[in-house]
Amino acid sequence: MSAQKKRTFKIEAFKHRVELDPKYAERTWKVLEHAIHEIYNHNASGLSFEELYRNAYNMVLHKYGEKLYSGLVTTMSGHLKEIAKSIEDSQGGLFLEELDRKWGDHNKALQMIRDILMYMDRTFVPGNHKTPVHELGLNLWRDNIIRSGKIQTRLLDTLLDLIHRERTGEVINRSLMRNITKMLMDLGSSVYQEDFEKPFLEVSASFYSGESQQLIECCDCGEYLRKAERRLTEETERVSHYLDVKSEVKITSVVEGEMIANHMQRLVHMENSGLVNMLVDDRYEDLSRMYNLFRRVPDGLSTVRDVMTSHLRETGKQLVSDPERLKDPVDFVQHLLDEKDKYDKIISKAFNNDKSFQNALNSSFEYFINLNNRSPEFISLYVDDKLRKGLKGVSEEDVEVVLDKVMMLFRYLQEKDVFEKYYKQHLAKRLLSGKTASDDAERSMIVKLKTECGYQFTSKLEGMFTDMKTSVDTMQGFYANQYSETGDGPTLAVQVLTTGSWPTQPSAPCNLPAEILGICDKFRTYYLGTHTGRRLTWQTNMGTADIKATFGKGQKHELNVSTYQMCILMLFNSADQLTYREIEQATEIPAPDLKRCLQSLACVKGKNVLRKEPMSKDIAEDDAFYFNDKFTSKFIKVKIGTVAAQKESEPEKQETRQRVEEDRKPQIEAAIVRIMKSRRVLDHNTIVTEVTSQLQSRFLPNPVVIKKRIESLIEREFLERDKNDRKLYRYLA
Amino acid sequence: MTSRRGRIRFNVGGKIFETTATTLANAGRHSMLGALLDDSWNPRQPVEGEAADAEYFIDRNPACFAVLLDLLRTGELHVPSNMPEKLLNREALFYGLLDQVRAARWGPFDGNRLQLVDSVSGRAPGDGTAIRAGPDGGCCVAHGSMVHVYDWMLEEHRPISLDYQQVNDVGYIDAESIVISARERLGKGDGGMGVFSSSTGELRHRLRVSHDNQVKSFTAGALSLGSSDYKIFASCKGRCNEYGIGVWDQITGQQVDFFYEPPGCSLGDADKLQWLDGDKCLMVATLFPRTDNCFIGLLDFRDKSVNWSWSDAGTSVSLSLDEKRVLHAIAIEDSRSICVVNQYDDLGFIDLRSNAGGVRWSSRSKLTNRKAPNEESCYPKLATHNGQLFSSMNDGISVFCGPEWVLTSTLRRSYGGSICDFSIGGDRLFALHSEENVFDVWETPPSLTI
Repeated sequence: MSAQKKRTFKIEAFKHRVELDPKYAERTWKVLEHAIHEIYNHNASGLSFEELYRNAYNMVLHKYGEKLYSGLVTTMSGHLKEIAKSIEDSQGGLFLEELDRKWGDHNKALQMIRDILMYMDRTFVPGNHKTPVHELGLNLWRDNIIRSGKIQTRLLDTLLDLIHRERTGEVINRSLMRNITKMLMDLGSSVYQEDFEKPFLEVSASFYSGESQQLIECCDCGEYLRKAERRLTEETERVSHYLDVKSEVKITSVVEGEMIANHMQRLVHMENSGLVNMLVDDRYEDLSRMYNLFRRVPDGLSTVRDVMTSHLRETGKQLVSDPERLKDPVDFVQHLLDEKDKYDKIISKAFNNDKSFQNALNSSFEYFINLNNRSPEFISLYVDDKLRKGLKGVSEEDVEVVLDKVMMLFRYLQEKDVFEKYYKQHLAKRLLSGKTASDDAERSMIVKLKTECGYQFTSKLEGMFTDMKTSVDTMQGFYANQYSETGDGPTLAVQVLTTGSWPTQPSAPCNLPAEILGICDKFRTYYLGTHTGRRLTWQTNMGTADIKATFGKGQKHELNVSTYQMCILMLFNSADQLTYREIEQATEIPAPDLKRCLQSLACVKGKNVLRKEPMSKDIAEDDAFYFNDKFTSKFIKVKIGTVAAQKESEPEKQETRQRVEEDRKPQIEAAIVRIMKSRRVLDHNTIVTEVTSQLQSRFLPNPVVIKKRIESLIEREFLERDKNDRKLYRYLA
Repeated sequence: MTSRRGRIRFNVGGKIFETTATTLANAGRHSMLGALLDDSWNPRQPVEGEAADAEYFIDRNPACFAVLLDLLRTGELHVPSNMPEKLLNREALFYGLLDQVRAARWGPFDGNRLQLVDSVSGRAPGDGTAIRAGPDGGCCVAHGSMVHVYDWMLEEHRPISLDYQQVNDVGYIDAESIVISARERLGKGDGGMGVFSSSTGELRHRLRVSHDNQVKSFTAGALSLGSSDYKIFASCKGRCNEYGIGVWDQITGQQVDFFYEPPGCSLGDADKLQWLDGDKCLMVATLFPRTDNCFIGLLDFRDKSVNWSWSDAGTSVSLSLDEKRVLHAIAIEDSRSICVVNQYDDLGFIDLRSNAGGVRWSSRSKLTNRKAPNEESCYPKLATHNGQLFSSMNDGISVFCGPEWVLTSTLRRSYGGSICDFSIGGDRLFALHSEENVFDVWETPPSLTI
């Protein structure tokens, strides 16, 4: 049944075709072909769309789709060949104009042809796997025009020549260029890439390779970078004006490669204008340009960073090892801070606050600050200087700024415990001599150290402050109690210092004058009466005194002296002349201190309340001293300092160092025991690493010292060596 | 000729119509009417008055034009009862308005609002193999050794066959291409898959299988088409135990991969393949009665591994009558589970996240009056679409919704016997009945404009 149906259908179809005029297809096609000719000849006004559409429809309906389609291909190809000829014939400069105009014509014609053949496009084309009309038109244009032998190379050469001319400063017709590249893109991204972009990139590479060679010979680094930057913006601009957006990355990477990556080393190290010179001269603009350009190429930033780091280390090393600089610790630290400021500014202004550059800066500082083992002392001295006087009349915020900067340097220190030691000494001196400029600033510094290093680090420093405060209260209580008896006698101000909190050197008290001794005893009685179970020791080496003195012609002066000096001067109340030995016997001041005191009393011009015989700078054991009756000064108050080096002298330094080393021993031992207690068995190297990491925040322990400590602990039977493996240690509980 | 006040006059087959440019704009530039009015076909007339009187002549059926013009005006399609649908479709195709007509006919698919719109009967009596919905609303029916192709207007195109071998499965690559898997023909050296044009029926590619660079004859079973990476998957049985899953490229038709059947997994006999886009793996289900024991697995082709598998081997020791056998399976990627159905039309779910879990049956069988199993009944099938789950049983299709898969609708009609296969696509559901060779078309009516 079904087979029969099929056959009937076939016969009908056959009949149907017979009825049709045999020339129908040919005639219809002629009409359409004519229309296509007219459209290409700008003569479409006489055409009836309805009629043409109907004709095309009928051809497809009557199974002449294939004829229609192939006819279209032939006709369109024919026209495109003619167009190709007219483009080929166009005169030099008019070539692109002609191409652009014909392209516009073709597009318009294509649109109209597509309108006529819309029905074919919808039904015949998808069912028969043909290319749709619009795409077909583009493909034919590509094959007949763009890739025709005579046009292809000429088009490419013209385009590249125009771009070259624009690069050398000529003005070209950008909108025409835009139309042409747009055409290439419309023909498909592969056409744009193969027929234009690839050769364009190659030509650009050789152009920039040549230009960069030329520039690097005659320009300094800054100028070269300026030119490279301008080239890059030019290329981006060119892309935005008349190239495909996707070309931007490609062309800029060509420029980056040729102009920057290939000359990186040479640029950075360029004599008199390279990176180092830029850093030295703070040329922010050039540096920023270098950063931004080098960032675009692989390894660019690391090159810049490496050069900066090595330069920083070099200059830093010079700075910390320059013997001239070491003479003035304040100046030394100020230089470090200035250097840090300079580079901070460079990084923030020119290097985009790049984290990796900040890290490089920090590691460089850490490297060279620790090259000089006096850095901790100097930093503490710097703070001392600032807190004594440097910050007078400076606003609170500025104080914070200075302290923050110091803390930054402090962070670089490996031997933080050495700093602590010095800071304690300097703080003690400041507190006892009442030289602190601002209590707030002092406390702020302590808080900073505390946040940085923890409670332990500052507990003793805080103890010092507490002592100072309780001393004030104690003195108030003392005088409230003794008001009747003070009268004419000397006024005593006692600071009670807790042993252990203060960096006191035990020293035998000197013999105090009787006037003082009396009130001292009263104080002792008062103090021990209110605080039972304590012991008071006089630290006469740390006190100060204000004494009134009357010189010849009735001149009265108030002398501000140390306790030792006071003791010496009081002796002259009962004698005009005393020898060194007599003074030493009477006061029992230790010899070095005594010498220093006498020196400051007798040998400093303008403050020489004593006279020495023979006149010389140094104090000898058989010198004689006289009360200098002729002493004059335009000040009522005269401050007589002690001739004491602010900076530690060499032996003192040795001593401090030794004390630091001594202090480290128990810390290292404690760390070893802590570690071994939890790990029970460990080999030597692991212990060393663990101890180092535990103590790092305070100092960098020396492996040799660690080894010695381990040996000592073995001796004391905290640890033992493993019997089988000598490298292993065991913890003995 | 867009005359005064934007009015346009047509003379269609002798009848005058007047409308506005705004109405015609709804046709779009890529329609015949859009091109007709385009400036390039209407060079500016020098005299204004002359243009005003002009009219466009179109040599077509005026009645159909009236319907289509009304469609452009209102967006709704009202076809007079005396106008054959075929006629209207032909005219719409002439004007390039077929898409608008289609959109006005039926709306976006919703399983709960489906209406039966047509029943199409085929040429040969019952026992179809498979029905597949095309992406554009057409469908194809595999029947014996032929595949009948219908476009969305339900016009039949030239039937397709692969050397008249028994067709096992069909699938749409796109509206224009259909892939067919067929049984190997004994005595002939090649096997059973091809890509065809849906409109002309011509063979575009023959899909071959090579083992060790030698083209081998094979029988192709179930198909799956990966949507994201343009691949065709098919279960293959070769003559010399080359069992497994073959993979081809949809565009070139070249074989790109082959997953050989590992021991313990039956892949070559699989009844159902489903490509899971999210997991980038293929679900393979080999089910009763093709094998005694069900196997469901997820294959990863990148490292040729079985990511997950489930089998009822071992669990069914006693062959009691009441035993539940998995007859069809479908993966639901959103809920990370596989839905299965048994001979009592119970739905079951297997969790894809755990490897050891069994089937969680939700007993629907108690609710429905269970028909005595007779020889006419077909095996149930499952499908999902947009979070709705469809299950065929006997002569109806049940629609389940929501995370708990509640039964929300049943599609049933009494003619044609039980449903042997159904498919959803192109916003339509096609159901193939087994007794008479007839398939039903279900659509969602277009939503009313208020």
